[in-house]
Amino acid sequence: MTNPLFAPKSFLVVDDMGEMRSAIKAMLVALGSTQVEQARDGLDAIQKMKQKRFDVILCDYNLGPGKDGQQVLEEARLRHLIGVDVIFVMITAENARGMVMGAVEYAPDSYVSKPFTKELLEARLLKLFERKADLAAVNKALVAKDKPGALREINALIANKPRNLGELLKIKSEICIDTNLLDEAEATLKQVLAVREMPWAVFSLGKIAFLRKQFDQAETIFKQLIAQDPTFISAYDWLAKSQTAQRQFDAAENTLREAIRISPRNIPRQHTLADLALNNGHSDVAEHAYTQAVGLAKHSVLNHPAIFAGLAKSKSVNGKHDEALKVTRDIRKSFPDQPEATFYAASANALVKANQGDHEGAAAALALAEQALAGLNETAHASDYALELAKTYVELGQGDKAAPILQQAIANNHDDEAILAQIITLCQESDLKYDAETEIRTIQQALIKTNNEGVHLIKQGQFDAAIKLLSQAAEQMPGNKTINLNAAMAMLMYMEHRGINREDVQTVHHYVERIQRLAPDDWRLADLNKRLRKLLTGLKSDG
Amino acid sequence: MDSLDFSDILASSVHDIKNSLGLILTNLDDLIANPDNRIANPSQANVLQHEVRRANGSLIQLLTLYKLGQQQLSVRISDNNVSEFFNELIAENLSVCRSLNLEVLAVCDPDLEGYFDTELIRSVLDSTIGNARRYARRQIQLNAECQAEYLVLRVEDDGPGFPDYLTTLRDYRPSALREKSDATHTQLGLYFAARIAQLHRHGEHSGRIQLHNAHQLSGGCFELWLP
Repeated sequence: MTNPLFAPKSFLVVDDMGEMRSAIKAMLVALGSTQVEQARDGLDAIQKMKQKRFDVILCDYNLGPGKDGQQVLEEARLRHLIGVDVIFVMITAENARGMVMGAVEYAPDSYVSKPFTKELLEARLLKLFERKADLAAVNKALVAKDKPGALREINALIANKPRNLGELLKIKSEICIDTNLLDEAEATLKQVLAVREMPWAVFSLGKIAFLRKQFDQAETIFKQLIAQDPTFISAYDWLAKSQTAQRQFDAAENTLREAIRISPRNIPRQHTLADLALNNGHSDVAEHAYTQAVGLAKHSVLNHPAIFAGLAKSKSVNGKHDEALKVTRDIRKSFPDQPEATFYAASANALVKANQGDHEGAAAALALAEQALAGLNETAHASDYALELAKTYVELGQGDKAAPILQQAIANNHDDEAILAQIITLCQESDLKYDAETEIRTIQQALIKTNNEGVHLIKQGQFDAAIKLLSQAAEQMPGNKTINLNAAMAMLMYMEHRGINREDVQTVHHYVERIQRLAPDDWRLADLNKRLRKLLTGLKSDG
Repeated sequence: MDSLDFSDILASSVHDIKNSLGLILTNLDDLIANPDNRIANPSQANVLQHEVRRANGSLIQLLTLYKLGQQQLSVRISDNNVSEFFNELIAENLSVCRSLNLEVLAVCDPDLEGYFDTELIRSVLDSTIGNARRYARRQIQLNAECQAEYLVLRVEDDGPGFPDYLTTLRDYRPSALREKSDATHTQLGLYFAARIAQLHRHGEHSGRIQLHNAHQLSGGCFELWLP
């Protein structure tokens, strides 16, 4: 019996076994599907998704060598190949349960365990079609990055006292966290927890504590979750973040080592562990983790020259200078046409040569790194690059050059505890004559003052003064997203009141581009873009 | 080659076996459902279908009990609509029941919600349905209700019912069962079900199983009490 809901939908079946692909395809065809494509491994699947948008993806977890199903899902989401409106079903053998089911950052819509019958597949897909149809308005807003709109839609659904209230409250809490409505998110989660202790809701409370910078409280929550369920993998990642923010670097490293023992195939986790271990002086752990990360990152959207640079440094610290130099050469090969790669390769090269005692070579490489960084986009100075170069300066005994870079990095990231913690540690562990903690406090206070003053001026309608103040600050701190957001908003509101002019529109565009690079997922960016579009189209219709 | 961890061997073997079982099952279902095929004795095909499912169920039990022994099993409670959950169980068993001439249906309030680990409870109920298929004459029924802060899930049939020594049982360990029965059945399935039920806890309460006869239908009635 065919079902009319299947015919209009396009399916992608991903499995490394040809017989299995054919069997699943035959089931779908018997249910009425007319558009079924197949992929034989992770790379093939990503390739197919790039060419075409599918409504439903059925992906086996175990895909042989190469990417597994979870990595395919992560890659597809990160590359924006599938949105929240696409159904992703993970097919698992029972043995994958432990690995797969641990609450992961990127969860599929559903799991189906093998073997399954056509009737089960039909029942499951019909249920998912219904869910997506219920959530259509919410998902449409989310795909358009209109978070406030999504919140309105989800609230409307919740008001109807639906059957799947728990699921809706979960989505609502996620949207609230994304839009920094932490009090509302907390209230939503408490509503869930009043009925039953659900680990996902406790986990979200931990995230909220972290975002409120209540790191010790966040730490307690994540530890409690891990004690209850040692396979709750995201809890380890967030525990490590909470520990890093409190500068408990050894504890954070141990947390991630434990997480990697359970789930080794996550690139950011391996990379974070490697960075921590290298800074903690555990160069053997670092080298191993960087090696894993480099292997996993091949063909991944998460591949980055920083991982290679880390590998080179850790090898060099372990006395394998020749291997380290080979890795720095690989950086350029792996990332052709990327100016960042030149920077990282040169910076790592400088360190390796210094460790070898080749001071002339190190100086030359360092000069190349400085030159590469100068050629990079202004927002690139934001954090990672600045810290990388500052570390290299310190290692090469040129600490005096590090101070101005760190000053800039603090100004650009005044509210990012992880980066600030790294800066403080760097200063403490080297004999840098730079009091990072005092500088951070001073910069934070000045920034808060500027922001408050700017907002106050806007409220009073003194747009000229607000714009002058905020745009000056934005020029001093091109990598600070909050200042750029506020500067753009001040100009936008000025034009909303006084009419638009070409020069200011260009400046706003300039700020928007910066924010786009610094924080592409920030919901305020979507809001800014929406208002800007409205302003510009308003002008056209007015003639 | 390094010495392999037994759990890795088990995991990869299970993966291979499940792939094979999946293909056997799919092809068998198609073979039986296709009216162009003529099988001299159709009940043989049905036995195959039934046994493949049982083999799969046993495999899951084996792996789950192994993990339980290694303390690697974690229970992931989610909020589930029971009616939808039953519908999937029936869908999974529809083809084999149809060829055995058995009717399988669910009786459940469409708004009933329950908190449990779907994968674990699915495997318990699936193997219970498998057992009911062997004894049922015409009907298997799934039903559910809330009773004294517990969710009660039942699998019933219209067969001869459970023997007395099972309906009075409170200890489902294989050793305890051996003393009571004629030692030919280990009843590992009951032990599995009891352990999975126990893993479901809420506050002071934990889950349990109970066997009856003649509840809604005339035969055996398996009950899963979840807090």
